[in-house]
Amino acid sequence: MTSRVMREFDLLLPESVSEAITLLATHKDKAAVLAGGTDLLVALKFDYDIDNVISLALVPGLNNLSFDTKLGLTIGARVTIADILRSDDVKKHYPALWQAAKVFATPQLRNTATVLGNILRASPAGDCSLALYALGGTLILENTSGRREVNLDDFWLSYGVTARKDDELAVSLQVPAPSAGQKSAFRRMTRVTEDLSKLNAAVNLQMDGDKCTGARVVMGCVGPTLVRLPKVEGLLTGAIITPNFLEGISNIVGSEIKPIDDIRSSAEYRLKVAGVLVKRVIKQALNEGNDQ
Amino acid sequence: MKKHTITLTVNGEERDLIVSSNRTLLDALRDDLGFTDTKYGCGTGECGACTVLVDGTTSINGCLTLAATMDGKSITTAAGLARDGNLHPVQQAFIDNDAIQCGFCTPGMVLKAVSILDENPNPTEAEIRHGLEGSICRCTGYTKIVEAVQDASNRLSGVGE
Repeated sequence: MTSRVMREFDLLLPESVSEAITLLATHKDKAAVLAGGTDLLVALKFDYDIDNVISLALVPGLNNLSFDTKLGLTIGARVTIADILRSDDVKKHYPALWQAAKVFATPQLRNTATVLGNILRASPAGDCSLALYALGGTLILENTSGRREVNLDDFWLSYGVTARKDDELAVSLQVPAPSAGQKSAFRRMTRVTEDLSKLNAAVNLQMDGDKCTGARVVMGCVGPTLVRLPKVEGLLTGAIITPNFLEGISNIVGSEIKPIDDIRSSAEYRLKVAGVLVKRVIKQALNEGNDQ
Repeated sequence: MKKHTITLTVNGEERDLIVSSNRTLLDALRDDLGFTDTKYGCGTGECGACTVLVDGTTSINGCLTLAATMDGKSITTAAGLARDGNLHPVQQAFIDNDAIQCGFCTPGMVLKAVSILDENPNPTEAEIRHGLEGSICRCTGYTKIVEAVQDASNRLSGVGE
């Protein structure tokens, strides 16, 4: 196959969630789900062989992007990156996600690619996935026997592998309501802006005045999955964040990650700059509104 | 392989066609309907030569879209921008600013410019450059292209007339 010629498959166009999950129950691992398709179609042009493609194009009710001060943010399976960027609620309450959406790929891909697709791809470089990993979230999966919820912390098992079962449809993601004093940010490094990240980082800090009372610090492109940095999180929790303190944080980031050499960067370079990126993303979170 | 009967409105004209499951929108436009102004570049959503506008001015990559999922949609290609024999102001600005070298990226660039200006009629240079990401010019004539978009912005908002 080439970038021009796609494999043969049958495209199925269910018109409801129940029809879609019935098709998934029938075809299981012989079917792939198509939402935006920006990853799936590229895969189908190269090394991915599948008999059936189940498109969500005609399934109603999956475009829901809504914010509630108690329930938080609901992101339906067909919500695109561009939808996230247009949301004032996301910009205000979940800056890490908005900042990741802003630099995500290209305008055409942002108009097509979905947030849930980014999560399901289970790439260790996923920008929106990383921001959501920092913010925390619960994926709602549905099959013919019902619904179950999986926390993002338990969702990515290894490179490209998730906790989704073959017959399950990811219908939405629920992100908790932000608390007072919550500050988040996302930052990444690329060679040119439309490249995949060579390194990315996101933080979600719970601040009480100058004091940090809770922290989630995550990085991408430094292992087979997105990773949390527990030592950094531990040091941040309870700390007053000063420039000196941030230097100390910066120096221990390298001990928590295992980057590799690949076409986008070298392990040596990633180890060298990871601490700086974490320091900067923490500063960015504390200086609200100062995005990249 | 399953076939699908779909209707696309391309540049204002309704067209019925039958497409295989794996037919891309790009191939349907070029090979089934003859809209060869939409170009095949990389086939993987990186170069933007296949850009078309859907239902207004939302830009997408035709190479990463299955035609059968687009039933009922309205598609605009660069060939559909002219009105009554007059080029769209963005097209005229590209000509007047020498923003075309080999021309292969031009249909996609012009459509992206239309999309940028529809969302933000007076973009800054940085906003134009951010908006043009996803369209690659291998002649590397970006400076002229950015100037053409600025010029088109002025023309559309009536500055200097």
